[in-house]
Amino acid sequence: MSALTVARIDLKRLAVRPFAWTLAGIALAMMAWQFLLGVSAFLHAQPAGPGAAAGPGFTDTVVAPYLLNYIQLCLVIAPLVTMQALAGERGAGRLVLLSASGATAAQIVFGKFCARLAFLWLLLMLVATLPLVLAPATHPDWGQFGAALIASALCVAALTAIGIACSAFTPEPALAAAAALLIGEALSLIDAGVRLTGGDTGWLGYLALHTHLAPALRGLVRSEDIVYFLIVIVLALALAIRRVGGDRERG
Amino acid sequence: MSSEIPSKPASTPALLELDRVSRRLGGRAVLRDVSFALRRGEVLGLLGVNGAGKSTTLAIIAGVLAPDGGHVRIDGRNAIDAGRRIGWVPENVPLWPELTVAETLDASGRLRGLARDARRATIERELTRLELGAVARRLCGQLSLGQKRRVGLAQALLHEPDLLVLDEPGNGLDPVQAAQLRELIGRLAPDRGIVLSSHDLAEVEAMCNRVVILHEGMVRHDASLADARGKLDAQFRAIARAPASAAA
Repeated sequence: MSALTVARIDLKRLAVRPFAWTLAGIALAMMAWQFLLGVSAFLHAQPAGPGAAAGPGFTDTVVAPYLLNYIQLCLVIAPLVTMQALAGERGAGRLVLLSASGATAAQIVFGKFCARLAFLWLLLMLVATLPLVLAPATHPDWGQFGAALIASALCVAALTAIGIACSAFTPEPALAAAAALLIGEALSLIDAGVRLTGGDTGWLGYLALHTHLAPALRGLVRSEDIVYFLIVIVLALALAIRRVGGDRERG
Repeated sequence: MSSEIPSKPASTPALLELDRVSRRLGGRAVLRDVSFALRRGEVLGLLGVNGAGKSTTLAIIAGVLAPDGGHVRIDGRNAIDAGRRIGWVPENVPLWPELTVAETLDASGRLRGLARDARRATIERELTRLELGAVARRLCGQLSLGQKRRVGLAQALLHEPDLLVLDEPGNGLDPVQAAQLRELIGRLAPDRGIVLSSHDLAEVEAMCNRVVILHEGMVRHDASLADARGKLDAQFRAIARAPASAAA
C-alpha cells in the first residue's frame, strides 16, 4: 500500500512537471523522425519481382532497429528520469519524511521505481504505436514484434532500476544521472570490441545488453535473457533499498 | 500562555523516555548521554544555541535517525516500533511542491494506512483545525512559510499521534502566525506529549511547561518552567557561554 502511494505521488509529480513532458516530447519527436527514416529506407530498398516476399520484412528492417533505437535513447532518458528519485528527495528532506510516515526503505524504492518505469513504459507504448498505425499495410510479424516489445520493456526496466540505484547512492541528482549513464553505456558497449572482430565474447558478452536484446529483436524470447534482465533489476533495487535503509544509521 | 498548560505530576508514567542517548555525526559527538522524560500533557521545550544537538535529538525521537548508544522509548516501546504513534514536523517542512494541500494530506493519510473514509474525515478535521480550508486546493509550492508549517502539522496530526515532535516550529513566522501557533499548541497539548525545539527563550516560555537546555550535545538543565521562570534567561546565557567540559 505504501509503495503504491509513493508511486502515485511520484507519478502525479511527474505529470505536472514540465521536465517530464519536455523529455517525452523530445523523445517522441526523435523516434518519429527515426521511424520515418526507417520506412523511407525500407520503401527504397524494397525488391521488386519474384522472390521479393522471401526477403527481410517490415518488422526486420524497420520495427526491430526502431525499438533498438528507443533502447539507446533510454540509455540517456532513464538516468534523467530517475536522477531526482532518491537523490533529489534526500536533498529536500522528503525521504526522511516518507520514512517517518511509516514507509519502509523497500516501499520507498519500489514505489519510486514503479513510477519512473510507468513513465518510460508509457513512452515505449507510444513509440510502439507508430509501427502499429502502418500494420494494415505492412503486415508485421506479430510474434517478432511482441518479442521485441517484451525485451525492450525488460531492458527499460533494467535501466530504470540502475538509475534508481545510482540515485540512492549519490547525494547529487546530476551525479546520479552521470553514474547511471556510464553504467548503461558500459553495459551497452562492454563487448563491442570483441563483437566487431567477430570473436567469442564470453562472460563479457553475457554482461552486455546487446546479447540479451538481439535474439528478442529477431523474434526469439529466451528464458536466459529474461533472467538476465530480472537479475539486473533485482540487484539494482536491492542495493538501493540497502542504501536507503542505511540512511537511519548514517544520518 | 504556558500557564494554560499545567505541569503533570511526576507520578504519571512517562510517554517518552530518552536514556543516555548519544550520537556521532561526521566524526563529531553531537549528542552525549542525553536523558530526559516526557509525560502525556506536557509540552517540553528543547532549548539551545545553534548546533546544540536539538534537531538530532528530535530526529532520533522521531525514529528517522538511529542513536549510537542509549535508548529511546515511547510508552515503553522502541521508537522505531512506535513510529506510528509519533507525528514529526522537521524544521524546513519538506512538502511536495507539485501537490496541492489536499493531495499532500491524502498522500500522508495513505502512507499512514488510513482507510478511505477515515482519511477523508481526518483530512477535513485537520483542514478545519489548522484553518487550511481556504488553501486546500493550492499547490504546496505556492504557500507561505506559515501555511507550510500548518500543512506540516496537519500531516503530523492525521493519525492522532500520542507524541508530537516539532523542530523549530516558530522559525520564520510573523507575530500573528507565532501567536496562532502558540494557541494551537495549547489546544493540542492536553491529549498528547509535545516536544519542540527552539533557540528562542521567549518562544519556549510562551509554549512550554517544561524546559530542557541542551548545550554541545549534553543536557545542562531540565526543570518545569514554573520552577525556572524568571531565572531561565540568566541560566540559558550562563550555559550558552560556558564550555561543555565545565559541566561534564
